[in-house]
Amino acid sequence: MRQLLRYRWTPWAVLALAAIFPFIAGTIGASYLVRVGGVIGLFMLLGLGLNFTLGYAGLFDLGFIAFYAIGAYTTAIAMRAGVPAPLALVLAVLVTLFVRALLGLTILRLRGDYLAVVTMGFGEIARLSINNLDALTNGPKGLQLAPWRPLSFLSADPNIQYYLMILFAVGLGAIASSRLEDSRVGRAWIAIREDEIAARLSGIPVRQYKLLAFTLSAAYAGLAGGLFAQWEQFVTPESFVFWESILVVSIVVLGGMGSIPGVLVGALVLVGFPPLMQWKLSADWINYRYLFFGLILVLVTLFRPQGILPSSRREAELTS
Amino acid sequence: MLIQQVVNGLTLGAIYSLIALGYTLVYGILTMINFAHSEVLMLGAFMALGLAALLPAVFGTGLIGLAGMFILSMAGAGVINVIIERFAYRPLRNISRLAPLISAIGVSIILQNGVFLWISTQSLRFPEPVAIGSVEVLGATISTLQVIILASALILMGLLHFFVEHSKLGKAMRACSDDIDTAGLMGINPDYIIALTFFVGGALGGAAGVLYGMNYGSIKYNLGFLPGAKAFTAAVLGGIGNIRGAVLGGFILGFLEVFASGYIPNGAQWRDVIAFTVLIIVLLVRPSGLLGEKIAEKV
Amino acid sequence: MIFRFVAAVAMIVLSAACGSKETVVKIAVAVPLTGDMGTEGQGLRRAVELAVEEANAAKRFPYKLVAAPYDDRADPKEAVNVANLIISDPRVVAVVGHYNSGCAIPAAKVYARAPVAMVSPAATNPEVTAQQNSKDWSGPRMVFRVVPTDDVQGSYAAMFAYKKLGKRRMTLLHDKSPYGQGLGEQFKKAFIELGGKIVSEDGISVGDKDFKALLTKIKGDSSKPEGIYFGGLYTEAGLLLKQMRELGLNDPFAFISGDGAKTSGIFDVAGDAAGGAYLSIVGIPVEELPSAATFIDNYKKRWTGSGEELKPFDHFGYEAAQVIFAAMERAGGPDRARVIEELKKTKYTGVLGTTTFDGKGDTLNKIVTMTRATAKDRSFPSVK
Repeated sequence: MRQLLRYRWTPWAVLALAAIFPFIAGTIGASYLVRVGGVIGLFMLLGLGLNFTLGYAGLFDLGFIAFYAIGAYTTAIAMRAGVPAPLALVLAVLVTLFVRALLGLTILRLRGDYLAVVTMGFGEIARLSINNLDALTNGPKGLQLAPWRPLSFLSADPNIQYYLMILFAVGLGAIASSRLEDSRVGRAWIAIREDEIAARLSGIPVRQYKLLAFTLSAAYAGLAGGLFAQWEQFVTPESFVFWESILVVSIVVLGGMGSIPGVLVGALVLVGFPPLMQWKLSADWINYRYLFFGLILVLVTLFRPQGILPSSRREAELTS
Repeated sequence: MLIQQVVNGLTLGAIYSLIALGYTLVYGILTMINFAHSEVLMLGAFMALGLAALLPAVFGTGLIGLAGMFILSMAGAGVINVIIERFAYRPLRNISRLAPLISAIGVSIILQNGVFLWISTQSLRFPEPVAIGSVEVLGATISTLQVIILASALILMGLLHFFVEHSKLGKAMRACSDDIDTAGLMGINPDYIIALTFFVGGALGGAAGVLYGMNYGSIKYNLGFLPGAKAFTAAVLGGIGNIRGAVLGGFILGFLEVFASGYIPNGAQWRDVIAFTVLIIVLLVRPSGLLGEKIAEKV
Repeated sequence: MIFRFVAAVAMIVLSAACGSKETVVKIAVAVPLTGDMGTEGQGLRRAVELAVEEANAAKRFPYKLVAAPYDDRADPKEAVNVANLIISDPRVVAVVGHYNSGCAIPAAKVYARAPVAMVSPAATNPEVTAQQNSKDWSGPRMVFRVVPTDDVQGSYAAMFAYKKLGKRRMTLLHDKSPYGQGLGEQFKKAFIELGGKIVSEDGISVGDKDFKALLTKIKGDSSKPEGIYFGGLYTEAGLLLKQMRELGLNDPFAFISGDGAKTSGIFDVAGDAAGGAYLSIVGIPVEELPSAATFIDNYKKRWTGSGEELKPFDHFGYEAAQVIFAAMERAGGPDRARVIEELKKTKYTGVLGTTTFDGKGDTLNKIVTMTRATAKDRSFPSVK
């Protein structure tokens, strides 16, 4: 697989294949996979987002899904208030950026595992607040959204429409990440992750760059949350539990921290595998799906601790 | 009413402290968050249930039976933790900091689903090894159960303190906690001490599981998750890696939850929000936790 | 490398294309089979499987009926996933599901696109059926509910508390789920209308174990509440009862809850402490309904050895399946659209009494009976 990545056209080929897939899926009896593909795409966005915080800046975040929730609820509340759908998405991104920046300013001075617990705490605070503030969010009863189907000219199926929109977002996100990675900012992040003190001594404004990475993550989460809300047409706090944050962390680490193809493959494997099992396992075995999932997590970590597609830098670190 | 709430807080805090100790011991020595700890505590509870079911005659005999159930469940939980360490964490130990975490998450999922699939999908009644009565003290109703829980927790913490501070193995554990490489140079076998640490941490988690089962009367495959997450928070609050910090954090969190539910109107539904907010505030003021040391980074 | 990739794709395509060749008609059971709500979902699956097995044994249909389980893990996105999977299988004629309202609401939109009927045994948020009347609803009406929405039990309990038990001041607790909160809100509204007073109100979370602090606060409340109304399920209800007794909150301090708590599982959680709790159920008392007793017997016989007890919504699951079977018989064949039409005309008498549906798909069976938990024989005799 690594050899494939060497070719410049590989990402475009994959993108093209992915874009065509939903149109042929129906004919091969795999329309379910279009839905699954969309969900995988959402987690690819989340993974790319968390990659800034965890992969580039090395900050341990256990509450990332809170921003997915904020994006989703902002979109829902905005659309119900009459805001047109594309604007609601923009609003979702702006609100998540804002909240994330505030959070970052407050907590980024904490190191390592203390940061982890605080982010976990914030994730729970967000979810519980959404659940309790009935007047704003309708609490556990959830909020309905009007459908937004801008790609109806391509297909009447909302699964296909959102698959394509999410694919587009993932593409944009991957390109943006890739550009940042190769820029001065990206190199500064790597320097900070490798040796914070040395980086500071080299003149890198560590605090600002950490905050930048931390904040940028949220844009991805907010966008993903907004798309999710519009696709399902319904938001409820049950969609944003702590476990989902852990899943996104696993995607980034298992895929390959700091590696864009790694994160994408990580999402493909971790989010794609359980629904695939639901489809293909017989009725007696579907209860075992998550047992197998746990086994896969352990085995993949044991046999490829650097991640499925680690960045070349990381591979060099961990295998030399 | 206040006395009652204090008792409630002490009981809850005792259980959180025991679980938190498990997290903090492992973290102190390996800088690793043992995500599977919550399942070890759950398994401790199930083992006690199993023992009580298999040998009802033995375990029905009052305090002796209770102690027996404790010791065996604790040992079992400790062994499980050691096995997990050996196969799921040790190969990853020197490779990366986050890889053992993902492995731990995987182990946690496996254990929870394993119990769900092979033991029971529903709540199981937890036996009462001693007759539960209650006593009225200063207007508060204190059940013998709460007394047992508090007493057991304090005894265990006392034993741990004695072991860590005054035994040779305990000294080795403290040395490894401080600097594992140097400890290795001093003739301590780090693998052995790490295994021991996992055993002790697991045993404490198992004890917490048994107390948990006794306190709430029923156990289920997913019982570990919530107390585990909270106890981890408590350990961090007290300063992760610090034994006294874990105990302090556990009791503070227990009291915080009790007073949020007990005194704030509508507090029960905001209880966790309050607890986490306090955590965040404390960490902002003391970034290494209440008793954590500021570790100077050598350049 | 490319070869391996192509081979994998080919495998998926081929396995997608090849199906089983026998005539099998599936009733999809879309519930949480694993995860935190796995306990309840597995119960529903067992109930539907029992119904399917009975139908097959009695040769009710000229084809083999199968209860096909689908796990939504009580996660709304998983629910939409399985909904998509279900509609792509032409052998599925109807769906019993979902358990959580949060799952039922988005999943229903997917089923509407097929369309395939969804009969829910446990989702009580009014929005589950009400959404069909919204202008955003695309598709026919195909959502049905054999479980009544919470407004029935809550108001009945309020009347019971006020008139029968003579309570004037009650504390309201609920588990912040659509079911529990809905029950609680209805109780509050009705109780206040009758002239009673809700002294305090609080929410707990499903999965919480420790209510000592909350109960201590209630016990010491200067407004002297005379009882607790709890909207929620048996695990939390049982824990509340156990801890209430530990704190000395016994009769005449009343504990009233709904059918989510009325299951023998509450005795597993609370033991004798559950005795004395007032639990409402939907439907006429089981003692007066022989079909209900038969169901309980058959369930126990079929599933002994698994150690699994009846869960509070299992008989709803059984009834949902029966209602679908009845519609299938009237439709003359396993045709999704015809089954939907026939379901609308349902008039079925079974373990819940007589079930008919209103214009939205909600059940019109709104008879409520109050029972009182008896610890001695783990039973729930009705209270008039």
